[in-house]
Amino acid sequence: MGFVTLRVVCLLVTLMVPVLLRAQGASAPASVSKAPAAPVSADAQRTYEGARGKLVQIRTLLRNTNTQSSVGSGFHVSADGRILTNFHVASQLALEPDRYRAVSVAVDGRQAELELLAFDVQHDLALLRPREPVAGQAALEFRAADAPLARGERIFSLGNPLDIGFAVTEGTFNGMVQRSFYPRIFFGGALNPGMSGGPALDGSGRVVGVNVSKRLDGELVSFLIPAEFAVRLLERGRDDKPLRGPAHAEITRQLLAHQALLSQRFTSSPLKLQKHGGYQVPVPDDALARCWGRGRDPDSKGFEVERTDCRVDSQVFAGEFTTGFVRVRHEAYDAPRYSALRFARRYSESFRNERFASRPSRHKTSAECTERFVERDGLPIRAVVCINAYRKLPGLYDVSVLMTTLNRPRQGVQGRLDANGVSFENGLKLVQYYLDGYRWEAAP
Amino acid sequence: MNAVPLAMVEVSDRSGRLLVRHAVRHWPLTIGRALSADLVLDDPHVAGEHLRLDRDAEGVLRAQVLDTVNGVALGRQRHDAGGAFVWNDIDTLDIGRLHLRVRLADSPLAPEQALPRFPWGMAGLTVLAVLAAFAADFVTNWIQVDDPQKRAQRLPGQLLAMAGALGGWAGAWALLSKLFAGHPNFWRHVRIASMAFAGAVVLAALSNLLAFMFSWESLALHDELVWAAVAALAVYLHLQLVVLRRRVLLAGLVAGVSLLGAGTVLGSTWMQHKRLARDLYMASLFPPGWRVAPAVPVRQFVDEASALKARVDERRRTQEAAGAEDDDD
Repeated sequence: MGFVTLRVVCLLVTLMVPVLLRAQGASAPASVSKAPAAPVSADAQRTYEGARGKLVQIRTLLRNTNTQSSVGSGFHVSADGRILTNFHVASQLALEPDRYRAVSVAVDGRQAELELLAFDVQHDLALLRPREPVAGQAALEFRAADAPLARGERIFSLGNPLDIGFAVTEGTFNGMVQRSFYPRIFFGGALNPGMSGGPALDGSGRVVGVNVSKRLDGELVSFLIPAEFAVRLLERGRDDKPLRGPAHAEITRQLLAHQALLSQRFTSSPLKLQKHGGYQVPVPDDALARCWGRGRDPDSKGFEVERTDCRVDSQVFAGEFTTGFVRVRHEAYDAPRYSALRFARRYSESFRNERFASRPSRHKTSAECTERFVERDGLPIRAVVCINAYRKLPGLYDVSVLMTTLNRPRQGVQGRLDANGVSFENGLKLVQYYLDGYRWEAAP
Repeated sequence: MNAVPLAMVEVSDRSGRLLVRHAVRHWPLTIGRALSADLVLDDPHVAGEHLRLDRDAEGVLRAQVLDTVNGVALGRQRHDAGGAFVWNDIDTLDIGRLHLRVRLADSPLAPEQALPRFPWGMAGLTVLAVLAAFAADFVTNWIQVDDPQKRAQRLPGQLLAMAGALGGWAGAWALLSKLFAGHPNFWRHVRIASMAFAGAVVLAALSNLLAFMFSWESLALHDELVWAAVAALAVYLHLQLVVLRRRVLLAGLVAGVSLLGAGTVLGSTWMQHKRLARDLYMASLFPPGWRVAPAVPVRQFVDEASALKARVDERRRTQEAAGAEDDDD
């Protein structure tokens, strides 16, 4: 089985500026020059003026050399100077506080050393505060949750794109993103790297969301985290003590909560059954996952393949990598004119070219596998389960199951489910749930 | 003097090449490096007067070892200076670095041997072996290439490549045989190479098949070992036609080198991956009807998979301890 091309390549980027991007910033990357400058209206001007003193740029610096490692944006949310931003902006500070420190830079250039108070990996938010106590800091206010925005309503996103300078971009509220695991606002406006963690404001200057990411394969398709989650984090972490030492334990705790929710939602939503000949193949529910299919190839010369690739958009950024998502794929084969042996050979080739973590990587161990012939309602299946662990996040695993049906000499389905960043028990639960979804119904 | 010699002594060097053929016209016969000896041997490891041969009243050929450092060896039996022994005319006598054979005039003569006829049996066997090799190659390709037209196009090239490979391989060995053993034995090398190739293909397919039928995954995960074993056997058989002596040592050597090679490969896989096979799972599938191993309910399989937790946690412990140095994923 192998998906060489997917019809739509999802290129979701977070909007932090890493070192590499910054290095080439001066030579004007396409995304900078091409992005159509939203016409600055009087509204935008007013919004910016109102938010000016409440905006900051957040720089992560290498402790040794004091050079920037990444930059993002943030905004003040309390009079004592608490700052809200994305977790992915503050993740280096959270994971390697010995190597990195963070400072905020206000519009007027004032700098302040920052401490991490709390974060929310699931929604990609972090709460910071200046090390030196501040009083009387002007702060942004949140728009009340019971005052929903209307589609098409104008909103303004603020931040410091590409470390060039503070900017306001104007766009529209386009409702919520479909099939997103956690609520996300679809912002029809330009977001650029470096604006991560900056606020998105309504016409009256109240925070409606936090800039988080955009699609690389589209124009003006950007995403915001709804303000309610920022409010929740602020309430939860307002009086927390600053985090000292690497935050792996807390990240693990939050990822475990995330995967529990993910597994629970996956297994409680009914699987759709896709038909391929006599096979019934499980695919996740439409509301939960986004699926892309590919039909028969006219040049297949008698070896027909139909593919489906589904993904639950629940991935979260855990510092250096994303995890916490489920992917389900299958291919159905049909070659009535093939000899059984030659079909078996093609079928094996497809089965063979699946990849698992055969070597350890920086974040994960190599995989351990087990395999067996199993039977689902009289349908014989060869199943392989491979599991690898996260090195620094104990209790989290990538669990994969690869299966191939073995009941017809010239027909078959090969499927695979990958659950990334789940607990061992939930991983196996998903494996069982997936394998249980297969059925064979003999032709009438 | 009698025209018919009493005996004939043949002297050959270590590779069996005849150096001297000495007609014995009187007993006793002295052998040595000194010019006064009856049979003069030019070998620095031979004494001036090394050995004396004589026939007693019963016609038995007796040898007396004279004043020598090295002595002589009859077959595996050593005889030092001062020793005496009976030399039947079957055994080869080693003296210095030379080999001596003796033929007595009154020994019964072996009957005349017919010239060898064309070895039809062997030729038939050779043809069968070569056909088997071609068949193995053909079937492999036939299964691998789906398009009949492409298959037909590839056939001539494929046959030619196979013929070239077989001929080249057997030819190289024949050259070695000729060099060291005196006879090229080309067709025997062809037989060995053909049978080894066909055998390896069949055995590897068989191990994959058995792995599938009975769910013996490790058989499929190590099918390269089948190839290695067959290759080692073939190399041993080829070598046998090159090195004529000390077969047991040769077998031990080839087995040792093969085991060392296999051990190195398995060992390095183990060092890298902490497991013996490169592949993580068995991927060779056969027609479903060939499966013999039972299929278990999904529940049972998933329950068994719980055992992975201890294994993968162990990996986390060891790899965590080892640090994050190997990260090419």
